[in-house]
Amino acid sequence: MKFRLVFISFIMLASMSLIVACSSNESGDNGESSGQGDEVVVDLFNIKVETTDQLNNLIDIYESENENVKINVTTVGGGQDAPSALQAKFSSGEAPSIFLLGGLSDVEKYSEYLLDVSDMESAKTAIDGTLEGASMDGTPYGIPLNIEGYGWMINKDIFERAGVDPSTIDSYDKFVEAVETIDSQKEELGIDSVFAFSAKEDWVVSQFSSHFTAPEFGNDVKTAFESDELNFEYGERMKEYTDLFNQYNYQPILSLDYSTSVEELFANDRAAIIHQGNWIVPTLNSMDESFAQEKLGILPLFVSSDTEGKIVAGPSWYWGINKEKDEAVVEESKKFIDWMYTSDKGKELIVEDFKYVPSHEGYDTDSISDPVSAEVYQYLLDGKGKIWANNQYPDGFFSEALHPEFQKYLGEQQSWEEFEEATSNAFSEMR
Amino acid sequence: MNFKNRTYWLFLLPTLLALLLVLIIPFFQGVYYSFTEYDGFQVTSFVGFDNYIKLFSDDQFLYSLGFTAAFSAASVIGINVLGLSFALLVTQKLGKVSTLFRTIYFMPNLIGGIILGFIWQFVFLKAFTGIADVTGIEFFRGWLSDTETGFWGLVILFVWQMSGYIMVIYISFLNNVPKELLEAATIDGANKWQSFWKVKFPLIIPAFTVSLFLTLSNAFKVYDQNMALTNGGPFGSTEMATMNIYDTAFKVQDMGYAQSKAIVFLIIITLISVIQLYITRKKETEL
Repeated sequence: MKFRLVFISFIMLASMSLIVACSSNESGDNGESSGQGDEVVVDLFNIKVETTDQLNNLIDIYESENENVKINVTTVGGGQDAPSALQAKFSSGEAPSIFLLGGLSDVEKYSEYLLDVSDMESAKTAIDGTLEGASMDGTPYGIPLNIEGYGWMINKDIFERAGVDPSTIDSYDKFVEAVETIDSQKEELGIDSVFAFSAKEDWVVSQFSSHFTAPEFGNDVKTAFESDELNFEYGERMKEYTDLFNQYNYQPILSLDYSTSVEELFANDRAAIIHQGNWIVPTLNSMDESFAQEKLGILPLFVSSDTEGKIVAGPSWYWGINKEKDEAVVEESKKFIDWMYTSDKGKELIVEDFKYVPSHEGYDTDSISDPVSAEVYQYLLDGKGKIWANNQYPDGFFSEALHPEFQKYLGEQQSWEEFEEATSNAFSEMR
Repeated sequence: MNFKNRTYWLFLLPTLLALLLVLIIPFFQGVYYSFTEYDGFQVTSFVGFDNYIKLFSDDQFLYSLGFTAAFSAASVIGINVLGLSFALLVTQKLGKVSTLFRTIYFMPNLIGGIILGFIWQFVFLKAFTGIADVTGIEFFRGWLSDTETGFWGLVILFVWQMSGYIMVIYISFLNNVPKELLEAATIDGANKWQSFWKVKFPLIIPAFTVSLFLTLSNAFKVYDQNMALTNGGPFGSTEMATMNIYDTAFKVQDMGYAQSKAIVFLIIITLISVIQLYITRKKETEL
């Protein structure tokens, strides 16, 4: 009997000490952020891995201008792991002061923490409509990070050598014509195929689908988020586009991944058209400085009308501020975000260092260095941008339902009707 | 040994505590979550056995279980045949060369699953296509782009990774086969083939117990190789059970349901391992 008592008391003691250790850790954290009087510590959770260096640089400059502020950055990147890591931070009681929100489902999830940003300078200068992606009941809870746009990225050089002027493509039929013209001269142009659509990547398929689902949702973020069904109103056109690129694509399409598509085929003039967005510009720049400047162009998709082409352009990420932190921390967080988007130095860095397409007004369009980013910005200002409908799909929908079903269609495992039906059902079920 | 000895328990305590914290408590927590609707943030409702009922009509999950079973069968056979062959090869008296071969065969095991996955992805996608372009043999074209090549791709990768490790186990057992028995067999006129099947083989049955257990349970639990090589594609047809569970939890954010899948999966693995251990144990011969 005696040993058992000792055993139990040991366990008790050990677990007690653990609890104590945990709670003392917590109080330590609080002390750090509020107790030291003059220095305010702001924790920032970053998901944009590709611009980590630029962000650190920007923070260094900000810290040197504001000596009482210390900004700690945690960067977690890559697809699905980042949201889980953020969630883990919140569950473990180490909630960051500033963090990135993907879509309305994130806003809903963290709604009890999120600060109403409507009175912030950077919210007032945000381009009309860009705040919607992080608004609930008309109250904005996030500041757009940047604008990203996607559509058909083309190699203008190949188009011209084939005798097609990209600027004359103003309808669906002309697009098909252009594709066929290029295909007929494959040998002379030295290309493997016209398209290099990477159907291995679920997010590429998801983004592609957005062209056709955005108009169904009335091009409204909120409608897209609240909709509990997806009917493929523009499924016919989606099928036409799909058949078109599948016919003229680099094969096997199902195992064509991002890097082969972009870095090997497209960047080496071996494919004329890919479905991507302006985020490929830094990659292209790192391989060949002149490519993005001279050859890269973007073509819209003709969906709701045969003659009016649109691309998808809009903010994909939002900065959210945690209102549950100390007042001083919240104040400094707001100041930092405002500085980043509205001060002269901040603006300069956003465009020239980050190479972002700005999501705020008051930027000099000429300062956007690469033509495609400028084009994306122009599309948005002209109202020819569609929303990122794919960001409002139910969690896991694109990777678990849309992508596999779409691949089944491409691989001739099922008909288009079966694809539409299976995907619609999954959409309603997952919502 | 006196089990009631106080120091005995004292020395055991750290391990017990660690096991309790990282294994036993989470396990019971997991069982609890499998009965709930849980998104990783908060438990929204208690649903009883609903998750388990739903699971039996989840085609993709059942498919992934079947796929995992087929994969395990193919790779267990492949690994053990290849591992044993390697072991027989390097236990021949070849001097320094055999040490070299041992090292080479074991090497793949030192590389992590993710990296292996990417290496083989390169081999299947780039090198194979290159071979096809040069030789015109269609067999090498389009690997990983359909279910069949995806399946065999995974098997090849896993066999390549594990057979060196299993080889080491067989080597140690082969070295323990008493020389005088082999000598006696030779004197009795047994050839190499006969002395392998009649003498060596029955004596290394215990190695099969260990090797089969290791390969079977590892094959069932494969995740990283799967993720890096095919990521379930095309159209989710090479998705293993572990990946299905992970995706349900972290992509669909349906943790409760994923947890119930994990529990079912755990029960299946346990059953298979226990049955396998029971059968091979019975076959072991005492010297």
